[in-house]
Amino acid sequence: MTESPSWLGRRVPRNEDARLLTGRALFVDDVNPPGTLHVAFFRSDHAHALIRGIELGTARRRPGVVAAYTAADLGEFWQPGQLLVAPVPVEGAVFHAVTQGPLARGKVCCAGEALAMVVAESRYLAEDALADIQVDLEPLPAVGDLEAALAPGAPVIHQGLGGNLAARARQRKGDYEAARAAAHRVIARRFRYDRGVSGAIENRGIVAAWDPRAEELTVWDTTQAPIPIRNGLARVLGLRESQVRVIAPFIGGGFGPKIMMHYPEELLVPWAARRLGATVKWIEDRQESFFATTQERLQIHDAELAVAADGKILGVRDRFLHDTGAYDPYGLTIPINTQCTLLGLYDVPCYDSEFTVVFTNRPIVTPVRGAGRQHGVFVMERLLDFAARELGLDPVEIRRRNLLTPDRFPHDHGILFQDSAPLIYDSGNYAPLLERAAERVEYQRFKRETQPAARAGGRRLGIGIVSYVEGTGIGPYEGARVTIEPSGTVRVATGVGTQGQGHFTTFAQIVAEVLGVEVGRVEVVTGDTREFGWGSGTFASRGIVVAGTACHEAACRVRAKAVALAAEILGVAAEEVELASAGARVRGAPQRRIGLGELARRANPLRGAVRPGTEPGLEATAYFGPDRGSTAAGVHAMVVEVDPETALVAIRRYVVVHDCGRVINPAIVDGQIQGGVAHGIGNAFYEALAWDENGQLLNASFMDYLLPTALDVPTVEIVHLETPSPLNPLGVKGVGEAGAIPTAAAFAQAVEDALAGTGLEILEAPLSPNRLFELLQALPGAAR
Amino acid sequence: MIVKGEHAFSGRPELVWALLLDPEVIAKAMPGTRELALTAPNRYEGRMVVTIGPVTAAEFALVIMLEELAPPRRFVMRVDGNGRFGFTRGTARVELAANDGGTMMRYEADLQVGGKIAAVGQRLLDVVSRTLLRAGLAALGKELEHRLGDGDRP
Repeated sequence: MTESPSWLGRRVPRNEDARLLTGRALFVDDVNPPGTLHVAFFRSDHAHALIRGIELGTARRRPGVVAAYTAADLGEFWQPGQLLVAPVPVEGAVFHAVTQGPLARGKVCCAGEALAMVVAESRYLAEDALADIQVDLEPLPAVGDLEAALAPGAPVIHQGLGGNLAARARQRKGDYEAARAAAHRVIARRFRYDRGVSGAIENRGIVAAWDPRAEELTVWDTTQAPIPIRNGLARVLGLRESQVRVIAPFIGGGFGPKIMMHYPEELLVPWAARRLGATVKWIEDRQESFFATTQERLQIHDAELAVAADGKILGVRDRFLHDTGAYDPYGLTIPINTQCTLLGLYDVPCYDSEFTVVFTNRPIVTPVRGAGRQHGVFVMERLLDFAARELGLDPVEIRRRNLLTPDRFPHDHGILFQDSAPLIYDSGNYAPLLERAAERVEYQRFKRETQPAARAGGRRLGIGIVSYVEGTGIGPYEGARVTIEPSGTVRVATGVGTQGQGHFTTFAQIVAEVLGVEVGRVEVVTGDTREFGWGSGTFASRGIVVAGTACHEAACRVRAKAVALAAEILGVAAEEVELASAGARVRGAPQRRIGLGELARRANPLRGAVRPGTEPGLEATAYFGPDRGSTAAGVHAMVVEVDPETALVAIRRYVVVHDCGRVINPAIVDGQIQGGVAHGIGNAFYEALAWDENGQLLNASFMDYLLPTALDVPTVEIVHLETPSPLNPLGVKGVGEAGAIPTAAAFAQAVEDALAGTGLEILEAPLSPNRLFELLQALPGAAR
Repeated sequence: MIVKGEHAFSGRPELVWALLLDPEVIAKAMPGTRELALTAPNRYEGRMVVTIGPVTAAEFALVIMLEELAPPRRFVMRVDGNGRFGFTRGTARVELAANDGGTMMRYEADLQVGGKIAAVGQRLLDVVSRTLLRAGLAALGKELEHRLGDGDRP
């Protein structure tokens, strides 16, 4: 279209960085209108208890306290939360929906559940007033262990259900029993993948302002889903959607938990603002976030792999328990993701997977970057490692023999995915991912020379190489409005929220490409319902696929308008007009041109007549909803060094070869992968929540809950391969979770490889130096 | 958290028994106790302030109940402390036996700790509780010496 190189696929510097780096980006805590009132929540110290009474009189009398509320004060406003995701309609599935009310009523189901809310002139006063509150709680035995929770006689969290079973679903294809009977070997193990937090650097926060003159509510919220938050607030507050504006400004990390709609605080703060006719603010502190922000990911799998003598997969059977915490607002999304992602890049002819979802007295579980995919990958990759060992095959070789070949796409796995659509891989080319990763990490040379040489010198090096798929870019839809302004600036508004993904740049690149302008001239607005009011949010690695495509479609419509008008002005046929260098010009005669700003002015005449059907300006809105998700894939390879005495592990190299379809901005994709790997490393070796038998969280601070630091996370060596998705015109797939998904599996394989000969088998994640030390001590023949 | 151990006192069991049931003495034996009063038979109420790592000067409303009293041999003590920074609940079994002219006290307590003190102070709980216990036993011993000095020495 233009003689300038394409904007797509270029390492364009990010449009948003100037604002972020100079401290001019607005975050929720930057919103401080004069007279703002501040909220603190009184939270339960007990994980499971009956509420006998809550006394707020003293707190209410404290000078500076404006109001204090319990569930009883909420009246009709108190309703159980909405079910966010309808359960995937798997045949025969059982699902018991239990959602949380805005303040606990009658019973506390997890530590940290809010019992009362104080509104005061400052946060200090509000916190002081919490000390005035007297609660009478009758503690009940707490449920944490998944198997004990299901055992007869276990304390029941939600009495009406008669037990702690939240859901059960089984998906099958082929005849696993026959596959098992025909197998050369059956590899069976029990795996455990434990809970962590998402660890966003910015905690949650909400500021709600009621304007009594305009009768409008404005809410600044660290949400990934501003439009559903607006719609829900309007509904529960009895307002029109047009009376509520939700702004999700810059957000310091989302990672999934900020998609919850609605957290209790997200309802109560706007409710209080309206009731008090004031601006009300709550910022979650780090302690609170360990209890009040959703978490993932405890599952226990009893899985087996049936293999032929040549290492070919004949079938997989899996039975797993999934911890959903005290409530299950997110339907079956996570365990379905686990069930689907386990199949990976492999040809698995027979599959029988059943999960059981369990209520526990723990914070609510909703997706955290990976959203169940980690577990599936961990189980499958570990089983393949053990199979390779038993069959005397190299770990790379057993994977190579089982990859789906390019002629198998689109590949229907015969089960349902999280979007309730069939799990069909749209496209993929897997062998090059594995080969390039092995090549880049110098797998052969490592095994042949590096590792033996290190061992001879007393050093334990190990290598891990694993693969994963990432189902991305699911519907239902997103939209975008593109406007060429008379200044020549192009404005893009879309409904998805942004939490660091680089939307201000990638969406700008897509639009700049279509309209022939510089990326820096495209201003993107995200996450403000007044700017764009239709859409569902940022989740499931779908921003570029769904909103990015909507931006593309809207830009194409604007281009058509611009071209038609320019053709008229320049006196040529529309086919003769091209957009380039911020203007429209005649093909082959670039001196005959008109600037886009001038065109925009001419498209909005102030006098005279226009033809019927004319739309003013150069503006268009478009929506995009894919039939189903597009499947990205990749291979991670890791080299570690293990100190067998202290069990400390250092990651020496980390290679990611991935395919997220067409790459819009390699620098941004690199950033997503690097950040994802950092998340994954935390999840593999540092981050684990520790609970006691009463449901008390014992490491609710960054002193005791370890996030990996820059010293623990190597610079990832990244190779981009591109298999365009046929499901959208740009050919893109998502990449937001890719880095975090297979890390623990790669880590486990690499650590075992480093300690080869000891008989160590890693069946759990996350590990820690302590835990690895315990595992080593427990080996037969270990030095004590 | 299980806390158990034994401690030798130089006085007779009857004397130690009286000591252990005296609210003023209990207050001394539980460092950080600001008030403790007998509010009903075998029920003591008061306040306690402790520091556990990053949780400084955490104040608890304290209720102690003595049960299964079999003087001067054993009793069960139920402790219930609640405060802004969490709670502690537990049951301690205390047994006294004559021992070489003195008394051997054996104790075993099962304590639950929750809230902020558990969430951020967990690594220090064990050390803090042992330190408090040691200080408490020393205070009891001293009090006993004092009483023995008043003429009760065997």
